[in-house]
Amino acid sequence: MSNEQAEFADFFRTSWEPCLRAVLAVAGSPQLAEDQVAEAFAKAWASWRKVRRHPAPNAWVVRTALNTGASWWRRRSREMPLPDHDLTAAGDLGVGLDASLLTMLRRLPARQREVIALRVFLDLDTETIARQLGIEAGTVRMHLSRAVTTLRRELTAANNHGG
Amino acid sequence: MNGHDDMSATDVLSTVRDSLCGMPVAGPPDVEAIMARGRAHRRRRLIPGVTGTAAVAAGAALAVTALTPASHLASPQPSHPAGRPPAAQLAAWTVTKLADGNISVTIRELADPAGLQSTLRADGVPASVTFASQQNAACRPYPGGTPPQAPQPLQVTTLLKRVFPKPYNELPPPPRPGGARLVPANGRPSGPPSPSPDSTVIVIDPSALPGSAGVQLGASDSGDAILTPRVVYASPQCTGS
Repeated sequence: MSNEQAEFADFFRTSWEPCLRAVLAVAGSPQLAEDQVAEAFAKAWASWRKVRRHPAPNAWVVRTALNTGASWWRRRSREMPLPDHDLTAAGDLGVGLDASLLTMLRRLPARQREVIALRVFLDLDTETIARQLGIEAGTVRMHLSRAVTTLRRELTAANNHGG
Repeated sequence: MNGHDDMSATDVLSTVRDSLCGMPVAGPPDVEAIMARGRAHRRRRLIPGVTGTAAVAAGAALAVTALTPASHLASPQPSHPAGRPPAAQLAAWTVTKLADGNISVTIRELADPAGLQSTLRADGVPASVTFASQQNAACRPYPGGTPPQAPQPLQVTTLLKRVFPKPYNELPPPPRPGGARLVPANGRPSGPPSPSPDSTVIVIDPSALPGSAGVQLGASDSGDAILTPRVVYASPQCTGS
């Protein structure tokens, strides 16, 4: 294995899980998230000489995975899914998952979910998130603030409902 | 703090992190398979106007990966609960047993149907898989309605749930000539298939299958479509048991 391959393998091994969790927080379905992240890592290796110099390579992977997912869903609109296909996406979430929190996340607008995912799972600062998403830092702060407000309200309601 | 009433932004984000980091996720696929897939991307990028020939080449390359035993390509990660094993590999297809007992089949290329069939059967799913224009003639469709063994009306869609991250017509073709043709949603044969490594996911709930039923993945009655999941009568000639 060359130095370049070893470098990528190390990056892949350490970044797989945080990237997958970030994409899962946005995509909602573990299977789709796994496919999207695997595809993004493949693209990262295809462009490794560029990606390795990226200030946040794992953010590059997450952003690529999310773009790939969006592309897949656009193409999927040409298909005729089975009537209960959405149940699959919502129902294969595995065990140990705080399903209510994931449901809260999925109710957020897509951009707010992306901001949350990049902040929470990749620990990126506002400026880096802004560069990744191609938006202003102030817009990132706005999305983050709105997402936090919504989540706090829903967590409070869930807590009160739960007694 | 009284519940979540006065959570700070940091508290909210920590709650999200702690909660979702506790959920099981698949371990990384084999890095060699990822790099092979990346090399295919690189080749396509370097060759403008790539054609189906290149797609076949890419498919053949990944099909080789599919022949490698899964246990040689992935090992469980310490952070993964036993009920959610890591994805075995990134190859022509992947069969994963989910925590809820369902079987997930991710098909990226139309390669090694016999291997997929054997894997499904080993996981307890009576299965017949044919990635060719002719399906197994020994398979008989399972009738709709309420089978004697099942308390609920049998609906195929409750047994086989499909999601379509990618359309069928963009799955790479089999790595040999004369194999299955690919059909888009409107039922008409597609043009040259894309070399995309995209996949189709089929989720099978074995517990919902009556004892006399199995699963068939293969061509439709018209002989055009592929990857049509159906419930069929289980038999040694069709599903192996």
